[in-house]
Amino acid sequence: MKKTILLFTALLALNSCQDIGGALFFAGDGTYEFTNENLETGYFVNETKIHRFETYSENDTIQGVYVGDFSQIENDTIIVYLHGNAPSMDNFWSTIGVLANLNEQHHYGVLMYDYRGYGKSTGTTLDAATMQADYNSVLNWLKDRGLTSDRMVVFANSLGSLPAGAAAAGNSPITVEKLVMEVPQSSADAMLQGATGLSLPSSMITSYNFDLGSDMANYSGDLLWMHGTSDDVAPIDNARTAMAEHQGTFYSEAVYEGAGHGLRWDIGNEEWSRVLLDFMRE
Amino acid sequence: MASCAPTKIVAPLEEGAWQAGATLGRPQINDGSLPMLGVYAAKGISNARTIYGGAGLSSSLFGAIQLEGGVVKGITEPVGWKPGFSISYGANSFISARNADLRVYPDAGANMYWKKGPHIAHLSANTWIDPTWFLTRYDQGQLLAPSFGAGYRFRYRWMEIQAEYKLVNPTRELVVPQANVPGINGLGGRGFYYGIAINF
Repeated sequence: MKKTILLFTALLALNSCQDIGGALFFAGDGTYEFTNENLETGYFVNETKIHRFETYSENDTIQGVYVGDFSQIENDTIIVYLHGNAPSMDNFWSTIGVLANLNEQHHYGVLMYDYRGYGKSTGTTLDAATMQADYNSVLNWLKDRGLTSDRMVVFANSLGSLPAGAAAAGNSPITVEKLVMEVPQSSADAMLQGATGLSLPSSMITSYNFDLGSDMANYSGDLLWMHGTSDDVAPIDNARTAMAEHQGTFYSEAVYEGAGHGLRWDIGNEEWSRVLLDFMRE
Repeated sequence: MASCAPTKIVAPLEEGAWQAGATLGRPQINDGSLPMLGVYAAKGISNARTIYGGAGLSSSLFGAIQLEGGVVKGITEPVGWKPGFSISYGANSFISARNADLRVYPDAGANMYWKKGPHIAHLSANTWIDPTWFLTRYDQGQLLAPSFGAGYRFRYRWMEIQAEYKLVNPTRELVVPQANVPGINGLGGRGFYYGIAINF
C-alpha cells in the first residue's frame, strides 16, 4: 500500500508538462466590422481606405486591416499597431480610428493584424516563436510593398509589447527606429513573481521567457513609453524599470496619475494623440 | 503555486499511524477559483511527532515538479476547551522540468487546535521563507510569505475530511494580468482549501 501511494505520487509529479502561456492568451472570435459605425465620433475614416488583407505565417493565415492607400505604402509613414490581449482586432478598431486621424485624417497609414488564433487568424498563439513568426509575416508584407525603416512607427499596446520588444531588439524584417510602448508588460519572470509573491522563475510554468528590459537594452531607436499609475494589469513600477533599460537615441515618457490599463479612455483622445504626435514628429 | 493546500497535519498522528490524502486548494480569482491539486502522505513517528511529504499536481501539469516535506511536533494536547498546540517546519521545492531551475522555500508554522472525538477545529499560521527573494525581477521579492487559516477536520477511524479558509500572503499585492485576485484590503489572496485522507 505504501509503495503504491509513493509510486502514484511520483508518477503524477513527473507527468506531462503543459505550457501556461497558451492559457494567458485571450484569443477569441472576431466579426471584423470595420466601419465608421464602430468608430468614435470625430474619428471617422474614409471607408474606401479600409482594406482587409491576409498574410501567411508558417501554416497559418494572419488577418490584417490597413487604413490608407495600398499604393502609397512605399511613400507614406505607417503605424504598425500591435494590439493587446483581447479576442480580436475588433476590440481595438476605435483606436485605429484615432490613429488614422492623427494630425489630420489619413495623414498616416495604419495597420493592425490578429495574432494567430485571435479573431479570424488561424492556428494558436503559443509563445515567442509564434508571435515572432506572425510579426515577421506582416512586416514582410509591408516590406514587399515598399515600407522602409524611416517611415515606420511600431505602436505596441500591452500584450503587443512582447513581439514589439523582440522586434525592436533586432528581430524585425524592417528595422524599428520608432517605438511606442503603451502600458507594456515587463518580463515573464516578473509576472509569475507578482502573481505568487515568490522568487519563482517563469520556467516553472512557461517557455515564453520574454524580457522587455533586455529587449530595450538592445534597442537603439527612439522610444515613447505611456503608462498610468493605477494600472493593475501591467504594474507601472515593473514597466518603468524595463523601459529604463533603453539606451537608444531618444526617450520620452508620458505617465498619468490615476490612469489605468485603458489609458486612452482614461486620459482622453486629445491628450493621447498630442503625446503620440509629438513623439512621431521628433 | 504557493500555499496551495490546507495545513497538512494539525493534530499529530499516533505513533505508527499513516495518513495519505489528496488536497484541493481553491484560491479565488475573478469570480471563480483556481483548482490546486496535491497529494501527501504522513506518518506518526511518535505520539507527538509526525513527518509528511507531498507533491503539487497542478504545478506539475505546467512543468514544475513541486515537492514538500516536513515535521509536525505536538507541544500540548487539547483538554476540553483548552486548546492544544503544535508547530511545524519543513521545506517546499520547485524544479522546472524545462531547464532544471530550482527554488527551495523552508516553511514554519504553528497550530492551535481543539479536539473532541472525531472533530478537530484549528487556527493555523504558517510562513514560507524565500531565501532567494533577491533573485526576483524589479525587487519584487519578500523574505516571508505568510498565510493564516481557520479550519475544521473530521478524523474518524480510517478517514479524514478537511476544510480550511486561508488568507495567503496578505503582506503584498498579488497581480495576475487581466484578473482580479480578491484579498484583504487589496493584499494577498484567499480561498477555501479542502482535503480528504485515509488513515491506516
